Amino acid sequence: MTQDFRIDGGLIDRSRRVRFTWNGVDMFGHPGDTLASALLANGKRLVGRSFKYHRPRGIFSAGPEEPNALTQVGRGAAQEPNTRATVQELYDGLYATSQNHRGPLEFDLMSVTDLMAPFFGAGFYYKTFMWPAKLWEKLYEPAIRASAGLGRLSGLPDPDSYDHGYLHCDILIIGAGPAGLSAALAAGRAGARVILADEDFLFGGRLNAETYEVDGHAGATWATTATAELAAMPNVRIMPRTTAYGAFDHGIYGALERKTDHLPEARGKPRQVLWRIYSKRAILAAGATERGIAFGNNDRPGVMLSGAVRAYANRWGVAPGKKLAILTNNDDGWRTARDLKAKGVQIATIVDTRSDVAHTLDQTDIRTGTAIADVTGRKGVTGIVLESGYRIEADCLAVSGGWSPNVHLTCHQRGRPTWRDDIAAFVPGADLPTGMTIAGAANGAMTLAAALHEGHTKGAEIAADLGHSNAPGAPAKAEDEPFAITPFWHVTKSTKRAWVDLQNDVTTKDIKLSQQEGFHSVEHLKRYTTLGMATDQGKTSNVLGLAIMAEATGKTIAETGTTIFRPPYTPVPIGAFAGRARGKDFRPFRLTPSHDWATEQGATFVEAGMWLRAQWFARDGEKGWRDSVDREVEMTRNGVGICDVTTLGKIDVQGKDAAEFLNRVYANPFLKLPVGKVRYGLMLREDGIVYDDGTTARLSETHFVMTTTTANAVLVFRNLEFARQCLWPDLDVHLISTTDGWAQFAVAGPKSRALSSKVVDDLDLSNDGFPFMACAECTVFGGTPARLFRISFSGELAYEIAVPARFGDAMIRALMQVGEEFDAVPYGTEALSVMRIEKGHVAGNELTGQTTALMMGLDGMVSKKKDAIGTLMSRREEMVRDDGMRLVGLRPVDRSVNLNAGAHFLTKGDPADMAHDQGWMTSVAYSPELKHSIGLGYLKRGTERMGEIIHAYDPVRGKDTEVEVVSSHHIDPEGERQRG
Amino acid sequence: MASIRLQAKPVLDVNIEIGGVRIRERDDLALVSVAGATSLDWLEMPTPTMSTEAGDMRAISIAQDQVMLIFQHRTPDAERVVRKRLNDGYTTDQTDVWVVLEVEGPYVRDGLERICPLDLHPEEFSIGSAARTVMEHMGAMIVRTGTDRFLLLSARSSAKSFLHAVETSFKNVA
Amino acid sequence: MIINHPLLGPRDAAEFVIMGDASRIERPPGSVEDNADAFHDHLYLRDNPAGLHRELWYHEQGDRSWLVVTRDTLTHEVVQVDLARDVARSKGRSR
Repeated sequence: MTQDFRIDGGLIDRSRRVRFTWNGVDMFGHPGDTLASALLANGKRLVGRSFKYHRPRGIFSAGPEEPNALTQVGRGAAQEPNTRATVQELYDGLYATSQNHRGPLEFDLMSVTDLMAPFFGAGFYYKTFMWPAKLWEKLYEPAIRASAGLGRLSGLPDPDSYDHGYLHCDILIIGAGPAGLSAALAAGRAGARVILADEDFLFGGRLNAETYEVDGHAGATWATTATAELAAMPNVRIMPRTTAYGAFDHGIYGALERKTDHLPEARGKPRQVLWRIYSKRAILAAGATERGIAFGNNDRPGVMLSGAVRAYANRWGVAPGKKLAILTNNDDGWRTARDLKAKGVQIATIVDTRSDVAHTLDQTDIRTGTAIADVTGRKGVTGIVLESGYRIEADCLAVSGGWSPNVHLTCHQRGRPTWRDDIAAFVPGADLPTGMTIAGAANGAMTLAAALHEGHTKGAEIAADLGHSNAPGAPAKAEDEPFAITPFWHVTKSTKRAWVDLQNDVTTKDIKLSQQEGFHSVEHLKRYTTLGMATDQGKTSNVLGLAIMAEATGKTIAETGTTIFRPPYTPVPIGAFAGRARGKDFRPFRLTPSHDWATEQGATFVEAGMWLRAQWFARDGEKGWRDSVDREVEMTRNGVGICDVTTLGKIDVQGKDAAEFLNRVYANPFLKLPVGKVRYGLMLREDGIVYDDGTTARLSETHFVMTTTTANAVLVFRNLEFARQCLWPDLDVHLISTTDGWAQFAVAGPKSRALSSKVVDDLDLSNDGFPFMACAECTVFGGTPARLFRISFSGELAYEIAVPARFGDAMIRALMQVGEEFDAVPYGTEALSVMRIEKGHVAGNELTGQTTALMMGLDGMVSKKKDAIGTLMSRREEMVRDDGMRLVGLRPVDRSVNLNAGAHFLTKGDPADMAHDQGWMTSVAYSPELKHSIGLGYLKRGTERMGEIIHAYDPVRGKDTEVEVVSSHHIDPEGERQRG
Repeated sequence: MASIRLQAKPVLDVNIEIGGVRIRERDDLALVSVAGATSLDWLEMPTPTMSTEAGDMRAISIAQDQVMLIFQHRTPDAERVVRKRLNDGYTTDQTDVWVVLEVEGPYVRDGLERICPLDLHPEEFSIGSAARTVMEHMGAMIVRTGTDRFLLLSARSSAKSFLHAVETSFKNVA
Repeated sequence: MIINHPLLGPRDAAEFVIMGDASRIERPPGSVEDNADAFHDHLYLRDNPAGLHRELWYHEQGDRSWLVVTRDTLTHEVVQVDLARDVARSKGRSR
């Protein structure tokens, strides 16, 4: 296609062509173009369909406020819906399609909804789909879902990558228009660390869209020079294509930098970076956004904001029409007329709603004190109809209803904008986010001279305030252009529907209906009509909507107030928030020291918190995991097994008061634990509930090594630090987490002594020399430092041997080599679990955050002689009831039946309801030793019910199993094996 | 079993360059923490944010009353070496608790700003500065040892994830 | 949010874990057998002020200090930050 609407000038590189595809048609533009400017240059006015009525829509604005020109950019998995054509930079090969239509854009099958518009007013859904209620899920919702929504997702995983990052500065300046550039120059020259961010790819803001002069140069040239000066300052970071989307607590800002969205290829780099910017102070120089006026058919393609028409002409060398009509209530429309006329575009008419207008323009049709009642042309403007009924031919209508300062970020901490009559706009209120200052048009300084001056002054002041006292230089100068406005919101003489919110298809009628039905407040208005929702968040429509509401209720706009804004300022892709946290990078993995070796053995791994642990080690011929696990258990119980238990939390507890400290954080006594011994400890919360357990070894008078469960390692450490710093700050005790420092292996089974004796240097491992619960610092394999503990989780004769983690890989290989003669077997977490259930040791399934020591049969451990965390509260009346839950073992009466954890217990003959609930099954396993399924569980008065037959009722799995109540120690209840 | 001797193994064994930044594991460094010591005879105590150095030994503050000594020492007896020189305090060998990466190169800060929440501007984090923080959900320590050189410490068990995070950062800015 | 650590300077709240009301420091003596009521109040009764609130934050991804942070629950303004150990001592806690 040819660029019929290109005119002279603009900040584009005409020496190069950029090819792109729109709805399957190849076109071209130039570097510097946006998709919108290129489409306009190619004469494309109809670019999409509206959300609700599927009305034909065109490009309305030239910036991020765009409500209409939402496009689908990219193909396949990489496509992105709702891309505003007005901010999408053109690149070679860009592929874009229009949205919101079935069938071709020109003949949208869904546009029938427009004919049914009388039925689809505000609150339509709430009123219509109420009845009959049962049709909602089956009929209404699927139908609505099928026709609703903006754009379509590919349904494929996002092929792009995203990143996060952290930036720090003295002053964050948001917006690189005249105010932002001036502020950055002043602050940068003064020596402050400045970040200057702008969502546009070209710094300068409106200077690029206007014909102003600054310091005697064209505004855009001045902006380029200023940007170059800033780029050369080492203390200034300039960030184009970066949207500050949110103002958070304490000077933290969220910003999205689009790194590759303007490039044909991402080349493996993150597409976007989500920055967290820490600022001491911030200057919001976000400028202002123009708004429209409501009149009949004001949504037709070709009806555009006045400033946007000017921007296309001045910045992009595009005339959005060949015959331009203008409707304005302020001086802005006149600027558009002058600029476009100077570029040779025919001005069909200027309609100024004010009667008293100082402007004139030679040889131009000018009408004052009137307005436009209707627009002709369906898929593009062909003319305008004045209030009088007089029609004037035009193919583009530029509308200016005034400018609204971009107060969005000032509201992110619930600040409320205030109304200013003189500029007919909301300006930032007094309650701003910590450290934020506003400059320029965002602050209501609506002229260029004022913006330049205010930016400079505030930049210099804040820099000085932060102690940067180099000379800020002189402020840039510009002529003060006129800025006068007489509010005019909507044309009451229009009989056709007049649009307020183009994105949500909200009309003046909807707002009046909302008022009539009692939804007066701006918050209700928004929810009832959807005014100001969706991707543009009402940037061009909010003020217009609430002005009409104010009129309907007879209140002033100041009294009516405004809704406030939340982050994000413009949409941020979910992928950017996720950053790298996708797939296996969702969170870090922790690997045990034997991980490489276990991988070589073909181990199956399981996630245990962040850890990857070997779950079992399958051997050839084994048909399922049970075969492997049963074998591992049997070989351990009959010979010797080896398991990596590094994941248990390990905490170095040192100090003169270490024993005293442990005695206060464990429910059972620790003061008299001898050096060279290990004790099992029970840790309570202050409310008396058990939350962790583990063994603690005393290596010297002042040195203990505590172990915690894998899951609670971090929590226990945190609580110990709390006790140490907040409860007993003067105890001499120090804590260091050493979990990762030691590769620790359990060596369990009747042959574990024989194996360990070949590993440990010079230590008598006989039962007398190194009895159950002994510990020692020693060496292994001829000199490697090690720690040896005689503790048992499996119930077998067992040792745990720890070596510095750097030797962990060598250690597991050496253990297996030495173990060959004993037929040593590596076992995983599943066998570990089977053995602890057989033995009746509690674990996570039993420590539910509701369990007391008494429930576990460990109440004897809770000392009554001392004050330890939780001991007093564990003796509360309710916690020591005789009829409370007690830990028991369970076995099926029919031994061939498998038990299920989660089943609830019922006394024989009782109905299956909660009132008769007797407890629940916590853990189950198949016991290779007993040759049947076994369980652990909490049962009311369980200890008194040994031998009773009860029901394990499991409605989820549809099972009801008779089980016998037995000791929780399914094997070796006297503990002879582990002590042998 | 006189024939078997355990060989130490670096956790990552990495020495690579990405975009002019060298990333290598420093498994030659020993880490010994000293808790509750009031002073060291041979080295000034570090402040909470600034390390001290004497000879090849550096001391950084890791908690209110804990310092960590970092020095070249390859055998697993680093704790004994330190303890011999102490008047008071309690030692823990932390060499195996951590993985130590050294990152060095002219663009090192560009990569680190993707994962390190701290301000590494030379005026805020000068040579010798040390801090504990979190990077990509992993606890970490960072020490500036040169204009363009940092030591990064993170838990040994998640060393691979940590290296992946560091590598990705430098790849993303290379 | 940013917490101005008394020893380390401003740090992002993401490095911290919150435990709630700083009254947790004032643990009643558990050696007194009939102190159950005092413990009940200590554990379960909390003020929920709209305004200044003293709360415990733990620098888990940092120097492991427990801090007492005085924060305005209406504005998130952090008015004061103290080392919890110092606060504990000032309340007479010692060994």
